[in-house]
Formats: sequence, structure tokens, C-alpha cells
Amino acid sequence: MSEQPVKHQRPTLPRPLSPRLSIYRWRAPMLASIAHRASGVVLILFVPLYLWLLHGMTGSPDHYAATLEWLHSMSGKFSLWLVGLALVYHFANGIRYLCLDSGWGESRAMMRFNAKLVLVIAGVAALALFWMLS
Amino acid sequence: MAEMIKLSIFRHDPDGDGKPFMQAFEVPLLQPGMKLLDALNYIKWELDGTLTYRRSCGEGVCGSDGLNINGVNGLACITPIEGLKQPIHVRPLPSMQVIRDLVVDMDHFFDQYRQVKPWLQSDSPLPEHERLQSPEDRERLNGSYECILCACCTTACPSWWWNGDRFLGPAALLQANRWIVDSRDEATGDRLDQVEDAFRLYRCHQIMNCMDACPKELNPTAAIGHIKRKLVSRKS
Repeated sequence: MSEQPVKHQRPTLPRPLSPRLSIYRWRAPMLASIAHRASGVVLILFVPLYLWLLHGMTGSPDHYAATLEWLHSMSGKFSLWLVGLALVYHFANGIRYLCLDSGWGESRAMMRFNAKLVLVIAGVAALALFWMLS
Repeated sequence: MAEMIKLSIFRHDPDGDGKPFMQAFEVPLLQPGMKLLDALNYIKWELDGTLTYRRSCGEGVCGSDGLNINGVNGLACITPIEGLKQPIHVRPLPSMQVIRDLVVDMDHFFDQYRQVKPWLQSDSPLPEHERLQSPEDRERLNGSYECILCACCTTACPSWWWNGDRFLGPAALLQANRWIVDSRDEATGDRLDQVEDAFRLYRCHQIMNCMDACPKELNPTAAIGHIKRKLVSRKS
């Protein structure tokens, strides 16, 4: 009878997951994509704020004055800046995605270029809005 | 004295205490045009024989040495050391189960490849010789057939990181498109049916890390876009 080889059973530890989001380098297309989700969330969150503003502006003269004062405060200006930026970015990148969905600008070079382009547009919009609101 | 290259390499010993860590190494710059794989080989052969990684052809054809290099996926054998910021951080492909050091479990990745049935399906009788294809039809396979299944694209995709159990991932979808556009294949309808799903195909949110990472300069994002348009045109 041949001798059976002895099997050394090792305790099997769960295999660790290799690191992902914490180590992956952010490139323009990835940034453009996540910024699209983030700006979409900002725009949705603006709806209740917008309704509150409308309610304040159309209530009584006191309400109107208080709302106007809030709009001129730091938090009011920051909200307008953020929403304006989100709107410009979401619009520009939305058009970019529509073009890509239609099959325009699908080369690797164009995908990289138009991601950078919308980020530059957002940067310019951020500065312009800051200048308008300050 | 030769110039030294600094590397920081992901280590995991399944027999140890189970905690992965980064280990620093220094390797001499052996020759101009030296690739990252040469540095890994130097470590394995001269400094620490326990370092474990996959490699085979050494020239970007087999797709064995897909790694995360300084935060972006690529093949070690065709990534020049020159131009890489030091210390060069070398980690296994992201969001994969690590077997040892830089070696990851590829079973799920290849299973997803199998799911798209990556072979010619045709009911027509076999011709006497080969199935012919016009040069124009053959040209449509360019940009798909070159894929070497290194998994650099799929493991670079955040959608796949979060939903890899259901989203097929860029590599499998690039292959699905390769058979959808093949003029000789007669299972286009079935192939489209199979991917038409909120997760299997539509979890792609055009993050484009796949296109950015592909060492063969292919474009899985564009291939996925083509499948989506094919599905739209089928409906209208």
C-alpha cells in the first residue's frame, strides 16, 4: 500500500482586499465624473433652499428684508456661489456626456481633453461668480 | 556607483499576522530604459526572494503583471522607471483579494469574461473553408481584439469596486462589444439581451479610469458607449 502524503492543513485567513479609492490617483476624467454627481446633489439640495427663499421674499415686507439680509450675509453668498458653480458645471459636463453618449469625441485624447475643458470652465465660473458676489 | 531607485512595495504574507504593509527597497538603475519589472526581478533575485508577483512574457503581451503603479494601473514590464515619481509605490490591482504580496485572485474577473461568451456563435452551416470577412468588417474589430485581459481597466473602475459582483466591468464589456461588432457572429441579439441590465452594463458611469489605465491604449468606455447605442437603436 502506498503511503498517503500528509496534508498540512493551514488555517485559512480571509484574504485582504487590495486598497482602491484611498490609493488611486485622481485623473481629470475621474474628477469630472465625481464632480458631476456632487454638483447634481448640490442642485437637488438647493430646491428646498430656493422654496424657502421664495417663501421669504413673497411673505411680508419684514420677511423680505430678513431674507435679503441673509442673501447678503457670508452664508447666503456662499450658497449662491456654490449653487451657481454647480449649475454651470453640471450643465457643461452634462453636454459633454450627451456628446459622448452620441458617439462624439470618443477617442482617448478627446475624452481626456474634454474632461479638462469642463474642469477649466468650472474654474473660470467659480472665479467669475466670486467676483460678482464679492 | 549606480544611481539607486527607491521603491515602496505592498507586502502581504498569508501565513503571517495577516496585516498587509508597505516595504521599502532600493535597487540600482541597471540600464537606460529599465522597466519596473526589471526592478521587481532585481529585488526577487538579489534582495528578497520571498517577494511574490506574476510575470511571464516581459513585453506587454501576456498581461500577467498588471499592478497599481504610483496610483494608476499598468503593466510593470512596459512601464519605464524613468518618469515615475520616487519612491515608486507598487501595489496589487485595486479591489482584489490578495493571495500574497502582489498576486491577486483573478477568478471572478475571468468568470465575468466567460459570462459574455467570448467566442464566435453562428448557426449557419460551416463553409468549406474559413468564414470570410470583408476588410472593412475586419477593421471594426480593431481596438477590441488587442485586449490581453490584464485586468488593469476593470480594477481601475470605481463602479466595479462597489458593484463588481453584478457589474461586468470594462474588460468583459469590451469583449462583449468585440463579438457584437463581429460581422460573422450571429448571436448579437442574445448578447445584447444578456448585457441589458441596470447593473451588468448600465453601472458604467463614464468615469473613464478604464480608458486611462489600459496599457494597450484601448478604450473600453467607447466600447460600452457603442453597446448602449446598439441597444437604443434596437428599440427604435
